[in-house]
Amino acid sequence: MVTPTNDPDFDVIVVGAGPAGATAAHRLASGGLSVVLIERAEVPGAKNLSGGVLYASVLEELFPGFADEAPIERRITRHVTTFLTADSAVSLDYSSHTLGHPVNGVTVLRARFDPWLVGKAEEAGALLMPGIRVDSLLTQAGPDGRRQVAGVRAGDEELRAPVVVAADGVNSFLARDAGLRRTPAPHHLAVGVKAVIRLDPGRIEDRFGVRPGEGAAHAIVGDCTQGIGGGGFLYTNQGSVSLGVVLRLDALQASGRSTSDVFEHCVRHPGLEPYLRDGEIIEYGAHLVAEGGYGMLGEIAGDGLVVAGEAAGLTINNGFTVRGMDLAVGSGIAAADGVAEAIGNGDVSAAGLAGYRRRLEESFVLKDLRTYARAPKWLERDRLYGAYGELSADVLRRVFSVGTSPHRPLRALARAALSDSRVRVRDLVSDGWSGVRAL
Amino acid sequence: MKIVVAYKWARNPQDAEVREDGTVDFGRSRAAVSEYDPVAFEVARRLADATGGEVIGLSVGDTSIGTSLARKAALSRGLDRLVLVADDALADADSTRLAAVLAAAVRTIEDVDLVIAGESSTDLAEGQVPLTLAAGLGWTGLAGICDVGVADEVVTVRRDLPDRRQTLLLDGPAVLSVTADAVVPRIPGMKEILAAAKKPVQVLDHASLDVTPVGAAGEASFEVLSTSRPADGTRRRVLIDGADPDTAAAGLVAALRTIGAM
Repeated sequence: MVTPTNDPDFDVIVVGAGPAGATAAHRLASGGLSVVLIERAEVPGAKNLSGGVLYASVLEELFPGFADEAPIERRITRHVTTFLTADSAVSLDYSSHTLGHPVNGVTVLRARFDPWLVGKAEEAGALLMPGIRVDSLLTQAGPDGRRQVAGVRAGDEELRAPVVVAADGVNSFLARDAGLRRTPAPHHLAVGVKAVIRLDPGRIEDRFGVRPGEGAAHAIVGDCTQGIGGGGFLYTNQGSVSLGVVLRLDALQASGRSTSDVFEHCVRHPGLEPYLRDGEIIEYGAHLVAEGGYGMLGEIAGDGLVVAGEAAGLTINNGFTVRGMDLAVGSGIAAADGVAEAIGNGDVSAAGLAGYRRRLEESFVLKDLRTYARAPKWLERDRLYGAYGELSADVLRRVFSVGTSPHRPLRALARAALSDSRVRVRDLVSDGWSGVRAL
Repeated sequence: MKIVVAYKWARNPQDAEVREDGTVDFGRSRAAVSEYDPVAFEVARRLADATGGEVIGLSVGDTSIGTSLARKAALSRGLDRLVLVADDALADADSTRLAAVLAAAVRTIEDVDLVIAGESSTDLAEGQVPLTLAAGLGWTGLAGICDVGVADEVVTVRRDLPDRRQTLLLDGPAVLSVTADAVVPRIPGMKEILAAAKKPVQVLDHASLDVTPVGAAGEASFEVLSTSRPADGTRRRVLIDGADPDTAAAGLVAALRTIGAM
């Protein structure tokens, strides 16, 4: 046992070995700082559940040729956005092989991917400390008498460093402990439920219309969540598909339904069942998701502390793509550079660590978050999850139904469908205009 | 006192899957220190602390046993140093072969007083490595050890058998297989993981080890004739609905009477 002293054990303690923490640890260690990367799970990735696609260009910049080296599942070359009603599906389908090269989006299974990224941090000299749950931040009086973060506490043990990087995920107890983050509002939080369903790779390629090594990502709204605000996703791994729903907590509470019932409904939905037939569920899990976007971003630096990744609320959902991991990696880079600069200048106060925020503002992370700042509010409009799907399905049903009575022009069909639906023209114009502005 | 703990970096059956035909697929499972082994580390540590001795971890297997995660997982549990034989040629080795390589590795470590091991492994679960290792070394092998004590450099061990409890005094080197409940092993904390990263690790070259195959003919003296799904035993597959406690209790009593247990 080491006798307790006030001497730092490391230059930087990173808590959480997900994409944000592992990237920060890699970059800090590469710069010659001593870094410990603390992870709650015995093996990195074991506690993680991600519901989306990893947009890879930031990783490609960090590790050129990464997609050939890392254990990725498939390169996404097909994006499908679907409005689902009880008995129909209206889709916007975009596919292009150019999305695969250079690499754009890839699917990953975190149990395989995270250990790879953490391995990069270890190669750079960071020390991985798995199986440790950090309970709280350690603070001490700084030169000016203010409390500043000086390390972490786990059980009855303390580990000291002048700077702590909190990359401890959506619940970030450390950011809350430091008073940097309030408990998120229910409409800024969603619960994600996901199952991994085993399917033969050849079947996946046939059903999803992709080539070997390539994959599809489906974003689904409407009846897959039984009209509850949020959406579903379905994407292809190498030998499995991931299917899940993300339900906004406020909308879920208002609906009175249980998460598992909604998920069951989604798995059995006739619009999705053909993709999943004869598959076997091999993994099932649930996870909180931050959905507030730019509006949820609070303070990300304190005295001796920076917050990165989902712990800082860095996620984007614009209805077409759901992003978190690329923003986590981007914030890990910015955090590492901000921390290294502060340590170099001998000032790890919130002011000294302000370079993190500045770098984040200049990077794609906050630029994109600002671009989609209005999206969460827009996505709270209930009509998106029911009425519009029904309306567009009704228009298309009239277009494709050919009988012996004379066919009317498309604009007349659309007008008739609109007047039959519960959507008012005023709402359509308002939602449409807001959508254009939000996206 | 110099103690070697033979341990296994093994697939964890928690994530393994039993296929339709009864065979087990370990493909999705992650490796960890086999769950029988932390107790061996702990027994050895306490013994070494009581005598001012040294505890050396020893593992043989494919190259995955030498990753930093695997090294720290072992070294953070009370070891002073680590000796590994990490070679992919050992990936599919059966437990008899592993025991022979363990014996060769123990011979390279001088003046070993005791080898301690867990009583089985989470993956193969054949439970014979400690005693085959003893045979390979030409040492005494004792299984089912539930307590190890030391006084004046003399080691005593206890074993609980169905009809008697015995305490034995060891005279000379031995291989001990300790029961899963012999002691409660420590859970590594931050300082132990920190210290683990700085402890010495020696990787032995598999090819240059003097591995003497265990068995009369110089090879394992058996061959596997058949492998099939294990018997289900005498499970009667009686399910009792617990919705109504009274009905459930009556159902349980009836079921126990049927089999003559009441």
